[in-house]
Amino acid sequence: MLLEHAKKSFGSVQAVKGISLEIAERSLCGFLGPNGAGKSTTIRMIMSIIAPDSGSVSVMGSSALEMKDRIGYLPEERGLYRKMKVGEFVAYMARLKGVHGAGLARKIDDWLERLELPGVAKRRCEELSKGQQQKIQLLASIIHEPDLLILDEPFSGLDPVNGRLVLELIRAEQARGATIIFSTHQMHTAEALCDKVILINKGEKVLDASLAELRARYDDRGLVCEPLGGVEEFAARALRAGIAAHARTHDNGTVDLDLAPGRQATDAMRAVIELAPMRSVGLRRMNLDDLFVELVGGPASTGTEGTQKKGAKIDA
Amino acid sequence: MPERAKQSYLGKVALIAWREFRHTALTPSFIIGAIAVPLLMIGVVVGAPLLLSQESPPLIGSIAVVDPSGTIVPRAKAILEKPVSIAERVEEIRKDPPKSTAEQMSAVSAMSSVGQQKIEVTWRAETDPARVDAIKSDLQSGTLLAGASIGADVLDPTKPSTPFDLYIPSALSPKHVTQISQAIQKAIEEERVARSGIDAALLDRLSGAAEPKTMRVSPEGAVAPEITELRFIVPVAFMFLLWITVFTSANYLLTTTIEEKSNKVMEVLLAAASPMQLLVGKILGYAAISAVMLVMYGGTGLAGLSVLAMLDLVPLMHIAYLVIFFVMGYLMVAAMMSAVGSAVSDLREAQSLVGPVMMVLFVPVALWFPIVENPNGTLATVASFIPPATPFVMIMRLTATTEPIPMWQAVVGIAWGFFCAIAMMWLAARIFRVGVLMQGKPPSPKELIRWAFVR
Repeated sequence: MLLEHAKKSFGSVQAVKGISLEIAERSLCGFLGPNGAGKSTTIRMIMSIIAPDSGSVSVMGSSALEMKDRIGYLPEERGLYRKMKVGEFVAYMARLKGVHGAGLARKIDDWLERLELPGVAKRRCEELSKGQQQKIQLLASIIHEPDLLILDEPFSGLDPVNGRLVLELIRAEQARGATIIFSTHQMHTAEALCDKVILINKGEKVLDASLAELRARYDDRGLVCEPLGGVEEFAARALRAGIAAHARTHDNGTVDLDLAPGRQATDAMRAVIELAPMRSVGLRRMNLDDLFVELVGGPASTGTEGTQKKGAKIDA
Repeated sequence: MPERAKQSYLGKVALIAWREFRHTALTPSFIIGAIAVPLLMIGVVVGAPLLLSQESPPLIGSIAVVDPSGTIVPRAKAILEKPVSIAERVEEIRKDPPKSTAEQMSAVSAMSSVGQQKIEVTWRAETDPARVDAIKSDLQSGTLLAGASIGADVLDPTKPSTPFDLYIPSALSPKHVTQISQAIQKAIEEERVARSGIDAALLDRLSGAAEPKTMRVSPEGAVAPEITELRFIVPVAFMFLLWITVFTSANYLLTTTIEEKSNKVMEVLLAAASPMQLLVGKILGYAAISAVMLVMYGGTGLAGLSVLAMLDLVPLMHIAYLVIFFVMGYLMVAAMMSAVGSAVSDLREAQSLVGPVMMVLFVPVALWFPIVENPNGTLATVASFIPPATPFVMIMRLTATTEPIPMWQAVVGIAWGFFCAIAMMWLAARIFRVGVLMQGKPPSPKELIRWAFVR
């Protein structure tokens, strides 16, 4: 999928300011950015729902209009025919995408089982909860086994159990061979899923790299330690021992150590363990949440999961 | 296993059209509504007089008449209390046909109340003209139903008819006023005839003019009694049939488009089909619904005419015109409704945009009488070339049997109408493409036009 210098304005507002990007086949790419950054507009241009004012969009070597039947799309604003039965709705969307045959009803039932929604095929869409409706919409976007799957905020509004279910489903779709693009505010989800991250802010692309590249580029030299004793005392000892040049203590009982010049991380970890009894010691690594704040200049998602740190832990 | 293949352009259109048809027409509410509407119309026609008759109030009270001759009160009493037969009432209506809608309703009511009204009236004869003031004060106090004053000149057969004074209280119903005034009028007429010495029965026999008994001979040679009113009713029925069937389904088109937008299902659909496929599918789906209604209601009308042996009033060419103008009218109204439906978020916003065009569409409904009476008049001719009124006016002009319209006007009207319908569809498609993704403030008509020409 290729976007070249795509621009789009709505009246005097320039929503997308010349974005270029390329997404490789079978990759899982995360579209990140704050609200109003231009993610949904970019996705709509990729889908050919709206045309760019200038620039070009190519999907699988053609336009998305030509490739609609090979694309699955979950829009940001969810929509169902409220009075239509669930099975009928999914079958209607599948038929619009070219899926026919006697096995369709069976396939829908199997998928409903898989999404932990058994027996809802005969129920009206309006009778389902919001989370259930969201899973039905996701099903409608993947029932035709698309080659390209575009999911706009697929996790918003889902509880942790359903969030995990959808996460597994996205992984399964990638394993099947689909190329997946999804937008999200949840940085930890992007970190858990993506091969590649594209960060959009104020209509411009500010980051386009694989997670491996990002880690190599942004991983810094530091440790995250969780001592069994007091954090202040541990920080002072680490500084006195010449392990760290700077130390920051946190209310959650952890201490960030910026390694002293010349100190190797593995050597410093051994020294820290010898310094005091530890619950855990880990290498401090780049996290998307901090990167997001740094690049966008504002807070990312305020969701509890989004602020969790991630590191390679070594039990003490 | 389900098979996966690229869905064809027309395949998607057909799928969308079928969904719209299935989820609108094949629902209990639509089927009940479609059957209920004609039944309701029959019910209104049959039931309204019955309902009106039950509401006919009894006439009870006293009437005072200042009449120096003393002859009017006995005559008026006899006339008011005499049971009137339906034949006599029909004859009255025939001699003096109702002119306004109110008079028509009154006549229907009078027909239905024949022999059912309770009348208990005490008549008071006054010979002194000075008693008029006493009558007025009795009316003020509510002890009198009505009062009248008959001057001596009124009864003089050598002089032309002059008015008499009728006094009524403010609360007296119009029906009672008519009854009382007619009884006194008739009494004066009888007294004037009696005083002139003419035989009343002879006068009655001579005064009725010979009425033609019109028989209609069809092209096949069948002879049937002519009902002139049907010559007016047929074109109006055609117009209303078009109007109701087109507007019912176009209204569904408007509301479902708004619903799809507000339910946010529009973007899901646009991921599977192009705006044009969606628009064409929706329009075809509701066209099918409209056609079902046209066949159902039109078929019922034709069956009725067949029973009355009046099928020759609707020649085959009229049916062809109906189909042509149905397609034209539906395309025009559906284009309008789909464009507006795509641009707004609720019905209230839609009404403000549709309002001005609806004014034009009400022209054939409001002005059917002069159009049918004079299909070649300036009003009818001009109105038939103003879209979107064209199909509704043209069908009336072409099916009106009062006088044929020039063939060139029919041909130009059809060509012009379809040109406008296609232009409206083109504009609607352009507006739909932009409108379906717009949220928030509804556009102004100027913005709608701008959308139509945006890239």
